[in-house]
Parts: sequence; structure tokens; C-alpha cells
Amino acid sequence: MNSDWDLAVVGAGVAGLTAARVAAEAGLRVVAYDRMTPGGQLVNLTTLHDVPEPGEVTSSAGLLGRLVAEAEAAGVTMSFAEVTRVRAGAAPRLETSEGEVGARAVVVATGLTAGRLGLPGEELLVGRGISTCAGCDGPLFRGRAVAVVGDDDWTAEEALELAEVATAVTVLVPGQPRWSGERVGRLAASARVEVLTGATVTALRGEGVLSGVVVATAGSERELAVDGLFPYVGRRGPGALVDGLPTDEAGRLRTEGGVRTAVPTVFVAGDARSAATGSVPSAGADGEAAGAAAVAMLRPAGGPGLRIVDPTFGVQPADSAAEAQAGGTADWSEVALFSNSKPNATELLRGVGERLQEHWELPELGFASKPNASAAADKDVIDWLSQRYKMVLVAVGD
Amino acid sequence: MELEKRGAVAPLLVTSTFLPLVEAQAKARRVTPRIVVVPHPVGGLNEAELAERIEAAAGALLPLADEARGSA
Repeated sequence: MNSDWDLAVVGAGVAGLTAARVAAEAGLRVVAYDRMTPGGQLVNLTTLHDVPEPGEVTSSAGLLGRLVAEAEAAGVTMSFAEVTRVRAGAAPRLETSEGEVGARAVVVATGLTAGRLGLPGEELLVGRGISTCAGCDGPLFRGRAVAVVGDDDWTAEEALELAEVATAVTVLVPGQPRWSGERVGRLAASARVEVLTGATVTALRGEGVLSGVVVATAGSERELAVDGLFPYVGRRGPGALVDGLPTDEAGRLRTEGGVRTAVPTVFVAGDARSAATGSVPSAGADGEAAGAAAVAMLRPAGGPGLRIVDPTFGVQPADSAAEAQAGGTADWSEVALFSNSKPNATELLRGVGERLQEHWELPELGFASKPNASAAADKDVIDWLSQRYKMVLVAVGD
Repeated sequence: MELEKRGAVAPLLVTSTFLPLVEAQAKARRVTPRIVVVPHPVGGLNEAELAERIEAAAGALLPLADEARGSA
């Protein structure tokens, strides 16, 4: 079995980018996979609380930009193929959307799936009232009532962010809250927030669009009329992605102390790890540890060893040139808008697009959008846009 | 950026807060994006504020688009 890479990192969020950067700085050939774009789940957040230190706040985009740039500078190769299976073993193999890949070691840093309640009809309402990104979709619920389900600090922060736009935010805590005392105070100080403990959502209401939920509390059940529902429970780890490693009840990978697993060539970092605390600083620390552990495992003799400098680093890959020529035969009268579906993004695009339409005397403008702000762009839509239009004006950020 | 790699001219309207991330991602993808920076945020703006953003963005986009078309 050949190894295409010394280290393959699955997931390019805080933990993955950090692990990849540490290993690349030590001279390893490192690839980091993320099917969307580097940044992980923090791409959907505007502000990070308690980062870098408790009580401080940090720009999410700024932090991620720095992590991506540092990984890139260290020589990490970013891949946007989707990893569909990790076969743990002495010679790990990855199945990806672009074929099978071998690596001498793997760091699994996928984070967790989006929150879900596991109720009938739930998936049909995602993007139609159900969201897991207050920063992305919160303004859509301006002047309306929403519910948030969860018990941790993330839940509390999302509820507080939603309270800035929604008329009422009901926080449904399945058991007892685990958020910090500081957040207890901030939630209590918000007149728009009500916290219900021991509350379970038992059904969803709405035809095509969410209109409410059924909430069970201590022997009683009631209807709660809400237009938005933000679940932060039921998040799953990457257990189904990785063969041959034990998982906990949430599908997170169990380790044998720190980031090491039962398989010496496989490490776990960040929220994908069982017992992870779920904070940005701990994800970064995990990434540091996993990167260092991979280096130590691959270089047991000690010392930095010989660093092989990739002479093609920074050169446009051959397939990129081919892709660049693969665009459609559209002419300059074919222009479209592509919205990321964040609040006001479409309005901004349409306004700017109308100016371009007038300037170039275009007969019409095409339009496409992501299904919702926190979802990845549909590959078929990207294919269609690139083949059908000469220019596509894209909204990024919020 | 994927659109640009596939041969479409794809100017990005990026809010200022997200500019560092977009630049880093572009570098990772080996693409040089055409970027129009818009003051952050866009979400939550009223009609008049949004109109200002549109005016400023259009002012930056039109010459960029003309240049792309002229050099094609």
C-alpha cells in the first residue's frame, strides 16, 4: 500500500487546521479535507465569546482567516473532496469523492453534525423554520417568536443573539442547563428570554413552514407557537465515518488518553473526540496535541529529520487549468446572481445586479441561492451556473 | 471561488469582517478572487442603509466588470 500523504486531516475547522499546521511545520506532507470550505462550523458565527480568554470576544472570520493562512504558509494542501470513509489500520485509507487516498496517519477533526431533534418531518422543515445558525438566520425571525433547544453554553449564546431580533425566545432545556453562571445572568436579564427546564419537544407543527412545536414538561404538554426553531441537541460525532474505532453514545470517537486512539495511526481532535469540552480553545489545544502526536508517531527516532520541500508548492495544479477551460459557452449577456441566503444578501445582490444590468443593457439576470445560509452550495447549482453564465455575482459574508 | 475555477467570472461581494477569511480561503484554493468589499454588516440594515451599501458596491463592481469583459 502506498501512502499519498504522511498525514491526512479530516475536517478543517479550528482543531483540524491547527493539527495540520503543526504537522506541516514539522516537515510532514499534510492534506486537510473539508468538503465545504476551511473553517468548520465557526464559519457560521460572527463573534466568539470567551476567546481567547474568558470574558473576551473574537471575530470568528478573523480567527479562521489566520488559521487558514498559517496552515497554508506551513505547506498544508487543502482538499475540498468529501471524505466518505476512514479505514483505520496500520496503513489508513480514506475513501473520498475523488477516489481512495492513503496516508501514514490520520487526524479525525470533523466536529459534530448539526443539531437535530429526531422528530418526524424535521428534515423537511430545515431551512423553513428550523435552523442551527442564529447568526445566519436569526434576522429572518425579526419580530417573531422562536424556540431554542439545548443545555450548553452554545445554546445560551444563540438564544441571546436571537433575543436581539425576535420578540420572544423560549429556551427549552431537556434536563437542567449546563451553561455558565455568567450566561445565567445574561439570560435572566433579557426580558425576551424564557427558560423552561425539563422540557422536551415531542412534535413539530407546520405544513411546509414551521408554525409551532409541542412541548412536554413534567407531566403536561402544550402547544408553543413559534416561527423559528434552533435545536442544539442530537449532534452526532463521526463514528459512522470511521471504521474500527470505539465510539460513545453520541458517535464521538473514544480515545485512550488525550488525542490517541486504540489504533496508533489515528488521532482525534476537537468536538469529534468523546469527552471534548466543545470550546474553541480546547479545539485548538486538541489540534496542537494531535499534530504533535502524529509527528512523534511518524518520527520516532527524534529530531526534525529531513524536510522534503514540494517543488510544485504554489504552482497552479494541472487539473485547475483544465477546469478553467471547462466553463460554458455563455457570452457576456449571460449574467446571474448567487445569494448565500443570509439576511439582506439577496437584496444587496439584486440592487447591485440591477446597476450592472442597466450599465451593460442586459436583457435579464439569472438567479440562484443556497437552500439556507448555513448549508453548502448545491453542486448541481454550481455546475449549472458555471455552464450557463459568463458572470456570476456572489454574496459572501453577512 | 469554485465558479471562478470553472471558468465563470465570479465577483464576490464580501462584507469587511469576512474579508480575511475569504482571502485565506482563496489562497488555499489557489484562486485570485475578484472582490468587492462591503462594510459589515448587511443583515439587519434598513432600506436606506442598504441602498448606501448597494451604491458603494455598484461603484466598485462596474469598473471591475468592465475590465473583466474588456480583457476577455
